[in-house]
Amino acid sequence: MNWLPRNRVVVPVDFSDESLAAVDTALAFVDDPQQVHVIHVLPELEPTEPGVIWNTIDDASRKKNVEEALRERLADERFQGLHFVVTIGDPGHEIADLAADQQADLIVMPSHGRRGLRRVLLGSVAERVLRLAHCPVLVLRK
Amino acid sequence: MTRTIALAIVCGVVFTLFGGAACAQNDSEAAPPVDNFEDADAALPVVPADDSTAAEESGWMDAVDDFFGSYLVGPLATVLFYDFETDQLLGASIPFVVLWLLLGALFFTIRMGFINIRAFWHAVKITKGDYDDPAGSGEVSHFQALASALSATVGLGNIAGVAIAISLGGPGATFWMIVVGLLGMSSKFSECTLGMLYRRIDADGRVSGGPMHYLRDGLAELGLGPVGAVLAGVFTLLCMGGSFGGGCAFQVNQSLGAINTQLTFLDPQRGGYPWIYGLVLVVLVGMVILGGIRRIAATAEKIVPLMCGIYVLTALYIIFSDASKILPAFQAIIEGAFTPQAGVSGGLIGVMVVGIQRAAFSNEAGIGSASIAHSAAKTEEPVSEGIVALLEPFIDTVVVCTMTALVIVITGAYDNPDWEHLRAANKGAELTSAAFGSVISWFPWMLALMVFLFAYSTMISWSYYGERCWSHLFGQRASIVYKILFLGFVFLGSIVQAKNVLDFSDLMILSMALPNILGVALLSGKVKRKLDDYWSRYKSGALKSRRD
Repeated sequence: MNWLPRNRVVVPVDFSDESLAAVDTALAFVDDPQQVHVIHVLPELEPTEPGVIWNTIDDASRKKNVEEALRERLADERFQGLHFVVTIGDPGHEIADLAADQQADLIVMPSHGRRGLRRVLLGSVAERVLRLAHCPVLVLRK
Repeated sequence: MTRTIALAIVCGVVFTLFGGAACAQNDSEAAPPVDNFEDADAALPVVPADDSTAAEESGWMDAVDDFFGSYLVGPLATVLFYDFETDQLLGASIPFVVLWLLLGALFFTIRMGFINIRAFWHAVKITKGDYDDPAGSGEVSHFQALASALSATVGLGNIAGVAIAISLGGPGATFWMIVVGLLGMSSKFSECTLGMLYRRIDADGRVSGGPMHYLRDGLAELGLGPVGAVLAGVFTLLCMGGSFGGGCAFQVNQSLGAINTQLTFLDPQRGGYPWIYGLVLVVLVGMVILGGIRRIAATAEKIVPLMCGIYVLTALYIIFSDASKILPAFQAIIEGAFTPQAGVSGGLIGVMVVGIQRAAFSNEAGIGSASIAHSAAKTEEPVSEGIVALLEPFIDTVVVCTMTALVIVITGAYDNPDWEHLRAANKGAELTSAAFGSVISWFPWMLALMVFLFAYSTMISWSYYGERCWSHLFGQRASIVYKILFLGFVFLGSIVQAKNVLDFSDLMILSMALPNILGVALLSGKVKRKLDDYWSRYKSGALKSRRD
């Protein structure tokens, strides 16, 4: 897979098996795990949910929880040194923005292949990243 | 860009389907003068509106309303209110959905070994925070989860519904309401325990739970995967529909009826402008669900327990202000429950049906919606939140509804000839308001404010339920579509008179009991095992109380 070595790679992870596998793919492009930025994008909080009403959950605690979860899921030796980034907003934009900020030269991500109404309503994150990214995007198919 | 257009189209189609229909007959003189479901279901069974009346009215909207009447309300009402010919056999009609809710509650009460009674004190202690586990997973404490669920439950059913029940069934209906409130506690326990057992906790610590999860995952565990998937899907759709109707348009419509007695410029019958009320609510709800202003939602929900408290205290003041009437009132309630009353159709069973139905509408036990809110509780003991949830029908029905009933009986609002016009028109909220006003002249103002706050907090809570279901189907990022639709229904609720559409939306809430009770009954073995395990640990003192 390592046909073009990269300096910095961004991998979005949504905790699905495919996205976690994409981290391995990303590692194949670099010499050091430190060159890989793993990003998870959270949706905005709903003002009507009980945790918000009672002020028991906030964005800071959510980010912390996700970072812990990422460290736990990617605890293996080969993942040591990965950068973890958690942001809140639209996944397509957040992923492309991070790649731009980090001057990444590759984004690696799976495509879920949503169909039907979900596709109409949610669109494809991969598609949006493709459109917005300043760098090459490697979309992994199942 | 394409996505935005697609969203707009989906929005437009759904809105035309539901909303256009809701507009229908708005200006139609021919529409029957039934302004809401409280009225409609009072005269059981619900019958689809007469198609011939609408024919003379022009416009596609009438056609859509007719479509609702003939193809949606009609069949739904036929199933839900099918009475197994009981009106021939017993002289009173027992609608299927009433029987379903009652038998469900009875089954859960027996299956769980009268959990509603034996766990009552334990429930109070858990709610007080004796067993709070700050390290547990979840979002809010037991008390906070209960308060959030209550804000969706306590509402116009407690104020308007009770008055209608007593107008129709006499004081005896109160007794049967209390009985159903007590039995409903077991339904709530079962569904909320399941909500906890099958809730999903996301990586960021947020919780999602409810019938859409436990029906699908729970029944899959029993090897009934396809059944569970169907029940969960049906529930999700009905819950979204219910949130637009009973949780939204209906609340606007009903609270407007109570408020325009005080603010006459909103009353369409006095040349007022009801749409002003609709617009104000669109702004107030929109600020929360679209604008993300958290403080308003938080204040509205937190104020519900306070409002409940003020309401109950005022009722108690009225009840005790003339102590000589207390005993006769209880006498009237007990006697009315067991002896056929003059003027009540269907005799004794008629009284029972009215009481049972109003209680079930009010406390929503068996409907499944409350388990969405309760699933957010912070604990590692699923059963403990189920036990907290059983307080909900108790507070809603056994306490608050009974207070309304006692005030109505004691002030004579149920048989005072002066108020016959309110009873005849089934104007429940106005009757309750008049009953309170006869003792405390300024209280109708207070009541109007309470009705407004109850309706508002119910809408906020139901928008959460509906949004959860929508996100479950389409993903959270699509919830903007849901929110826009919801606001549309807020506005429509202020201007609609279309009986079929309002009936349809409330029938959806009732229909939620069909997949939910069936699924919960199938899963009751699991609930029972978890309960027995929990209870033995509680009895042996193995559960850690913070007071120990």
